[in-house]
Amino acid sequence: MSPTPSTCRQIAPDLLRAAMGEASPPAVERVDEHVRRCASCREELHRSRDVDRLVTSLGRAPVAEDRSHAVRGDLEWRLAELRRRAVTSRVWNSPLGPILIARSERGVVLVEYLSRAGDAGASRLHRWPGVEIVEDGAETEGFYQQILEYLAGERTRLAWPLDLRFARSEFQREVLEATAALPYGAVTSYGRIAREIGRPTAVRAVAQALRWNPLPIVVPCHRVIGGSGSLTGYAGNKLDLKERLLAVEGVRTAHAPRDVRIRREAMYTVADRDSEYCLPTCGSLSSFPLARLTLFGTRERAEAAGLAPCTTCRPDLHPLSA
Amino acid sequence: MGREPFETVVATHHAEIYRYLRRVTAHANEAEDLSQEAFLRGFRAYRALPPDANVRAWMFAIATNLYRNHVRTESRRRAAHATVQRRSRESDGEGPEGEALFNEARAVLERVIDGLPLRQRLAFVLRKIHDLSYGEIARSLNCSEESARAHVFQAFRKIRQGLDGHDLPRPEVSA
Repeated sequence: MSPTPSTCRQIAPDLLRAAMGEASPPAVERVDEHVRRCASCREELHRSRDVDRLVTSLGRAPVAEDRSHAVRGDLEWRLAELRRRAVTSRVWNSPLGPILIARSERGVVLVEYLSRAGDAGASRLHRWPGVEIVEDGAETEGFYQQILEYLAGERTRLAWPLDLRFARSEFQREVLEATAALPYGAVTSYGRIAREIGRPTAVRAVAQALRWNPLPIVVPCHRVIGGSGSLTGYAGNKLDLKERLLAVEGVRTAHAPRDVRIRREAMYTVADRDSEYCLPTCGSLSSFPLARLTLFGTRERAEAAGLAPCTTCRPDLHPLSA
Repeated sequence: MGREPFETVVATHHAEIYRYLRRVTAHANEAEDLSQEAFLRGFRAYRALPPDANVRAWMFAIATNLYRNHVRTESRRRAAHATVQRRSRESDGEGPEGEALFNEARAVLERVIDGLPLRQRLAFVLRKIHDLSYGEIARSLNCSEESARAHVFQAFRKIRQGLDGHDLPRPEVSA
């Protein structure tokens, strides 16, 4: 089927497309057929092709005042800066309620209990200066899974690097680091942490520092209680969460009117930096202030923390009744 | 996560995106600011990008959007100051080589391109200078592939007309 001859007017659009190299094969055929007969359209095709070539040459030509190199250097600097400040975050609907987990390129920066799942906007993250917030769960999902395993009692270590850059002070950073070193299943007092960091009188300041712990669960401030054995406080008014986390780790609590306490008399006890754990009645331990003790709910926990049974009171032969 | 780091995206595409913006903007500092902004935006959105996305076309779309917004606010600003001026392109400076005819034709061509309606101009530059597909141009301009095609065609038609009566360099092509 040979194409019907076209008029110059009809062929004009195809001719332009052919010059640009964008005509369909049948259109190219129509154009070829037409310019074989029509000298002026042939000349037009050549000229349009010249224009196309000129246009293409523009792409190869350098642009005026090309500062791309300097601009890129500047950009790379800004990106590095942005990356340093970038924090990815996601709210997870955990068994403890909605929690926001955020991490930087260095480690976890924030674990925050939210009152409602849609409350991410109310997060502390937004009050930290110079933070570039990126909503993304991929980077914290693995960590959230670890928290779930922990809550199910299947994991005793949360193995993620911490980024304490948002600690409010050097003091708080020291408190958080000392608290992070507390073994799973252990309980001690604010006074003990104060002694650990060489500020034995700063007990209230330690309690305040932990009240604003940016990394609850991960930095186990739930293992730190008042000197009287009272749980005292947790993440504002979430004492029930503290009790629950302690229960996961085998620490039982007792309810008194308006108070929740550990049962010191029913816990294995370690004095100062001793390498052995004892029955709470061993020697004069029961008269020691909590600031000198670390307590464990079970022998397994004490032994997992590297402690041996005391050779005097023999908690291995006379375990506390459950 | 097998995705290449964003630094690689910068290394691969920055020069081209910068030159694209340099071609469509009137002043070098606009291209500098816009290209910075495009990559900073890209950095923020990069994680959300599907792994099989065409990163180059995506960066062109970001740059194009930024530029169109920029033109919109600029023209509003100019209207407010009632100093409507024709877009003027800064001179290329003194070219060291004397490719007179070529340079002259190219100067005319650039003037004609600068005078095109915005969408035609962008579609044309994306297609003919940066070789984007019509699908990619359509995504950059938020239009259908068909209108992207029409924009490029109209642009070429006007350019062809605009160069009427000018001598064009004709490279020696073997037959």
